Formats: sequence, structure tokens, C-alpha cells
Amino acid sequence: MKIFITILSLFFITISFAQKQSSDSTTAYKKRVLETIEIDFLSSYYTQDGDNAAVTGGIGTEELKDIASDIVISIPLNDDDILTINATVSAYTSASSSNLNPFDQSGASRGDDDDDKQSLNSKLASSVTGSPWVESTGASQKDVWINGNIAYSHSSDDRNKIWSANLNFANEYDYTSFGVGGSYSWLFNQKNTEFGVKGNAFFDTWNPKYPTELDSYLETNKNLNAGFFSPIDIIDQNGNITDKNGTTTWSPDKYSSIEDKSRNTFSLSLSFSQILSKNAQMSIFLDLVQQDGFLSSPLQRVYFGDRANFYVGNASSIPNYTSSSNRDVFQLADDIERLPNTRFKTPIGARFNYYINEFFVVKTYYRYYTDNWGVNAHTAEIEIPIKITDKFTLYPTYRYYTQTAVDYFAPFEENLSTQEFYTSDYDLSSFNANQYGLGLKYTDIFTKIHLRKLHMKSAEVRYNHYERNTGLTSNIISFGFQFQFE
Amino acid sequence: MKRIVYILIAGCFFTSCVAVKEYEKVNLSDPDMNLSANKSSKFETSAQLYRESASGANGGKSGGGCGCN
Repeated sequence: MKIFITILSLFFITISFAQKQSSDSTTAYKKRVLETIEIDFLSSYYTQDGDNAAVTGGIGTEELKDIASDIVISIPLNDDDILTINATVSAYTSASSSNLNPFDQSGASRGDDDDDKQSLNSKLASSVTGSPWVESTGASQKDVWINGNIAYSHSSDDRNKIWSANLNFANEYDYTSFGVGGSYSWLFNQKNTEFGVKGNAFFDTWNPKYPTELDSYLETNKNLNAGFFSPIDIIDQNGNITDKNGTTTWSPDKYSSIEDKSRNTFSLSLSFSQILSKNAQMSIFLDLVQQDGFLSSPLQRVYFGDRANFYVGNASSIPNYTSSSNRDVFQLADDIERLPNTRFKTPIGARFNYYINEFFVVKTYYRYYTDNWGVNAHTAEIEIPIKITDKFTLYPTYRYYTQTAVDYFAPFEENLSTQEFYTSDYDLSSFNANQYGLGLKYTDIFTKIHLRKLHMKSAEVRYNHYERNTGLTSNIISFGFQFQFE
Repeated sequence: MKRIVYILIAGCFFTSCVAVKEYEKVNLSDPDMNLSANKSSKFETSAQLYRESASGANGGKSGGGCGCN
């Protein structure tokens, strides 16, 4: 806390110092902030796999594929003002959405549709199987995330003060988000020093989707002879069919649907940039982030170690439940993930860039992160742009990341029903990760290549491979193009 | 950790008195010297936002507006 008070104090002291210096700014020539309309296209293809899916309680396939596209249009409204419009569409297939309902590998949906349940009800018990290691197929596994952002920025005549405001909208199958933000930047000391302050607020509303078995349990008022379970046998750990009217069958009594469907995020960001020499510059960022509301993911199952286990599917596969060879038995959840309804995050980061010579630049980044859920994390990144020719630059990159677990994390079957909060989401576990990447960029400052009025300024391709010591691996390839509209 | 932060901030204050003139900023104006994250790494950062607990302090998002942590 002392650090933050010190940083804030120094921030305001330096602003007052800056006021004395601001008169040295050059105002003789006023250049347009942006000469012409600029258009940035970005597309990526992402794949991942692992064995710790949160939707199935910390075991199971994490397979995911995502294709995303992004367009940013920057429009100069006059000499000083820019309007920026950004739209992003991301279409993915994943186990996390499909295995909300893992019981129908032939195409039932997430379990939120009555038609799906009726479809399941019409099947014979013996045909209903599932596995955390098999992605349910059909419409259920696909989804689309859309995001739109519009921003307006204004620069002062001397280009030393810039303010901006933005509105944001995002939508996915299980939430909708509205965001609003603003920022103010101040350059002084002959534009050698810059302070920035930025505020953002996101107001998210969940449209919660629950695991099929839990959803049905409440929907039928805990009657296992109705709804989804009507035609299905529930099996115990020994493979015996349980009496659904008895006391020794599956009974997730800790489960309840969520009442507060909101999630609010408020962030304040302070930044400081400084030119250190003709070849070096650095910046420091500090974010203070407060979140409140439902901060768990309602689709993520939890299995308690102090509760008996019950299954649906092939009893002979129960001994191999945690093995990927299990293709036809599924353990019924004890509850969904439960996490506190407030979280305070404090990341502080720094960048340092050094121009070695006309061929090499070194770009470095470090971040320390802490929050009140018990996570401490370090991120270190280095990129060395290498100018191969005057038009082509190579970008080898390396990133290391490590974090401690949240206080509420435990692996599959290791949380206890006596706890207030629990999760088996490995994204919240203790792990470290390495990322290796390579990019190639073509830059043409004279924009000779053009398609009608679209003149290409640059084209770029990047590939990154990510490895986590929990077994998760991912690959992403991105393509970017920047055009001027003339 | 505290020492590093103090040293960095102190360093910033001392160096802020030394100004590099506009005509001396040729190397600093190189696009690769930009102090913000690469535009083309947007989707990499987005994936990290979902797969890791830490976020923010990089000029980008620090939570909210996504199905992430």
C-alpha cells in the first residue's frame, strides 16, 4: 500500500513540476494528428489442448479452436480529432461450451434448451453416455464472441495534451457487456515525459448456463424421476444402479442457481513514459482494478472429495474415469464453481526499449501482479526486432509467466463441501508458462501496393507457441495488414 | 520488489530533467521503439487474458467485458 501512496504522491508532484516546464513546448507548427484514414485488419487462428478442463471439474479435454478477425478504422475528423471504430468477431469451438451437456455426443446443445432435454428424454437410458474426454458435437460446441468499440480523441494545439473517451459493447452466448472509459495524457519536458491517466468501467450481465445435470435437478425440484434423469440410471462408485427415490443416490444439495447476475469492473490506470537518451525510453504502468458481482463461471463443475460419487453411462469405465481412455461414463457434478463476489487486482508493469543500431532494437516488458484472491504473478517478455532489409523486419519473441494459485483452488475431487469457496479451474492454479514466437513484417512507407484507394502500409504474420507446465499447449498464428485510404 | 519500484521511480525523476531535442529523436521514432504493445499481438494478449489470472498494466484490458478471469 505504501508503494501506491508513494507512486500517487510522486505522480502529482511531477505534474506540478511539469506545469513549470510546459512553456518550453514548441507550438510554431501544427501538424495534423492523423493525415488520412487508416484501416487495420487483423485475423488469427488459435488452437489449444490440455487435460484439465474446468467445465468438467479439472479433468477432461481442453480442446479449443478459434478464428478471430478484427478491424480498426481511424478517421481524422479535423487537424486535432480522431474517431476510431473497432469491431471484433471471434468464432470458436470448445469443450467448455459443448461439455455443459456431455451426455449427448450426437449433437444435443448446451443443456439450456428444452428441445435438447426432450430429445434426451426420448432416448433409452443405455444410450445416454458422456465423458470429460470427449467433446460433445453438434451446434452446442460453437459460439461467437462479438465486440464493438468506438473512441474519440482530441489533441491540444501544442500536441501536449490528449484526451479521449470510448464506449464498448461485447456479447457472447452467456453474457452481455457495456463499457465506458476515458483517458487523459500529458506530454512535457519537450515531449520527453508523458503522464497518462485512464478510467474504465465495464458492466457485464450473465445469461448463466449451468451444467445439464444440475440445471435439471433444480428444474424438476430435485425429482430424479422427472426431466433429464427420467429415463436414465444413476450409478454409484461400485457400478450399482441407485434407487432414485432413496437416500443413497446423487444429491447435489449445495447447488443453487445464481441470483446476482451482474459483474462490474472498475479500473484506474496510471502511466508514466520517459525518454532516457537518444536510444532508450521506458514506461511504467499501474492499474487499480475493482470487480464485484458474480465473478465465478457458472458453467464450471466442482467435485467434492468428501462426497460419494455418482455416474451416468457405462459402469465398467468408472475405474478409468480420469484416464483419457474413458469414452462413455460421466460423473455427476456436486456444484458449480464458487468464488468471492469482490476482487481487487493490482498489476504494475514496465517497458524498456533500446535502439542498438539500424538493424537491432531490444524491447522488454516486465509485470508484477497481485490480487486479494491470493494470486501473485510475474510476467517477463523480450522481443528483438531485426531489420533484415529496409522493408522486412523479423520479430523473435520470448515470454515467461508464472503465478501462484488462488486461495480457493484444488484439483479434481480435492475440494471439500465444507468450504465456502472452491474452484478446479486450472487457469487459477499455480503454474508457469513459456511462449516462443516469431513474426515477419513488411513495411512500405511509400504505400506502392494498393487496391483502388486502399494503399498498404504494412503486412505482418506472427506465430506463437505457448506451453504451460500443467500440460496445456496452444498455438496462434496472426495476420495483420495496415492500409491508408486515399 | 519494493526497492526495484523505488529505484525505477527515482530514476524516472532524475532523467526527466535531461531532455532529448526533437531533431535527436530519429532512433526513438522508429516504429519498433513504440512503448505500447504491438497491434498485431492483440489476439495473443486476449488468449493470455483467458488462460492466466494476471492481467493489466500493459495498456490493454484488465478484466471485464469478456468471459475471462
